[in-house]
Amino acid sequence: MIAFEHVGKRYGGRFEALANIDFRVQRGEMVFLTGHSGAGKSSLLRLIMRLERPSRGKVRVAGHDIAGLHASQVPFYRRQIGVVFQDHQLLFDRDVFANVALPLEIQGAEPREIARRTRAALDKVGLLHREKALPIELSGGEQQRVGIARAVVNKPSLLLADEPTGNLDPQLSADIMTLFEDFNRIGTTVLIASHDLALIARLRHRVLRLRDGRLVGDQEAT
Amino acid sequence: MSERESAKAARSSSPRGARSQRTVMRSRFSAWARHHRAMCLDSAGRLIRTPIASLLTMLAIAIALILPTALWLSLDGARLLDAELDESATLTAYLDSDVDEREAMRVAEALGAAPAVEAVRLITAAEGMAEFQQALGLEDALERLETNPLPASVVVSPQDASPEAMRTLATQLEAVGGVDEVRVDLAWLERLKRLAELGRRVTLALGVLFGLGVLLVVGNTIRLAVESRRQEIEVVTLIGATHGFVRRPFLYSGAWYGLGGGLLAWALLALGRQWLSAPATALAESYGASFTMPGLDGAGSATLLVSSTLLGLLGAWIAVSRHLADIRPR
Repeated sequence: MIAFEHVGKRYGGRFEALANIDFRVQRGEMVFLTGHSGAGKSSLLRLIMRLERPSRGKVRVAGHDIAGLHASQVPFYRRQIGVVFQDHQLLFDRDVFANVALPLEIQGAEPREIARRTRAALDKVGLLHREKALPIELSGGEQQRVGIARAVVNKPSLLLADEPTGNLDPQLSADIMTLFEDFNRIGTTVLIASHDLALIARLRHRVLRLRDGRLVGDQEAT
Repeated sequence: MSERESAKAARSSSPRGARSQRTVMRSRFSAWARHHRAMCLDSAGRLIRTPIASLLTMLAIAIALILPTALWLSLDGARLLDAELDESATLTAYLDSDVDEREAMRVAEALGAAPAVEAVRLITAAEGMAEFQQALGLEDALERLETNPLPASVVVSPQDASPEAMRTLATQLEAVGGVDEVRVDLAWLERLKRLAELGRRVTLALGVLFGLGVLLVVGNTIRLAVESRRQEIEVVTLIGATHGFVRRPFLYSGAWYGLGGGLLAWALLALGRQWLSAPATALAESYGASFTMPGLDGAGSATLLVSSTLLGLLGAWIAVSRHLADIRPR
């Protein structure tokens, strides 16, 4: 599903964010990406989302070299990827339903279809009863679950998450991870950047370890 | 095929045959039209929710539109006047003072037969005197004169009222026997025509300048709107929105601003016309002229509204294109 082939990324010609990254993630896998802050986790995710292009090497997603995508194709590529952000990036001027429905609206889905799938996604994260609430009225854990519902509402084949449990207490973090495992069980490839090592160790999935922009560990699932 | 089915066909990654291809196209088009409708209403709603700010922007646009439009209207009025002047452009041929009435009629006929002449009217010495007396109110003084000092004259309407043609005609007519002198008052006619040309150019230049002003007003307003929705733009870009999708609400806002400004300009012009009409007509009447205040007809109103809407749209387009390039998701 994801293949990094000797990928390097430099910013401004000097700072080397990533160097010689080489790994593959199979379709349907669930993988954690760890490392201290500044190790290059976010840069790696940004390469997959094609917010950046690699300075060296190739990034392939679903077999395509995504650096070769024309600017007009990028939006359509991004629609196949669900992304969960640490700060969840909800829009505070509209209710929970409208936030989750956003990807479907961008794709031009039919209104009845939007309503059906948005409610299904909200039900999955346990927030169907809050669909009319504004994000500001929700707790941090609830806001993150709305962010997850938005990421999965159009059934992406790849789900990326950047520190999805960054600001949450251990119990809420575990709940969030269980949600990701549920999506993985139905065939979604999941890649989660996190530095919550205790939680990651307990979940026993494959772990990629980054240090100073280099891949220093690839621990298989146990 | 029901809507639900066609939406399913649209999602299927391998459309089967021409029939499902068509439904894919139809469903894409209806999604596109739906978004246009939604954004058209949404941007109007945003304008209405901040009524004072929207009204001020529209007022600025209206003021920028009013000046060139008003100038254009007064030129239009002047053009009507111009055409009337062309009709009334005449030459006066004064005959030798020893020409008697019968001779004068013969000369007038000769002048009327000249090729570039449209019509002639003979004013005999007696008629000239009567006109003169009436115009000056000097009946007593003039009655004391023993002989009529005025010559007979022939008023000649030319076929071509252009200054050059009239000058040529004047020389030709002067050569006719019995004609003493031909007078053409060309100077004021030429001056008026030059003034009209100057007015046209000033209006055009002002129109371009103020049109640019509208672009700037709308552009600046849209720039602020883009800035205030920066986070939203970043998020929708991250989850796969196309440039068109992001641009659309701002383009509609620009068009609404333009249309609102155009309507306001139209209303203010109508008010101004109402206000100026009575004194202007009275003034014209005191000169013995009939005058109707120029106003926007149907075509003129449509031109004003369409061009103000297009200017708004263009201003928004420029602003959005410039500022979207700056907004890249972090």
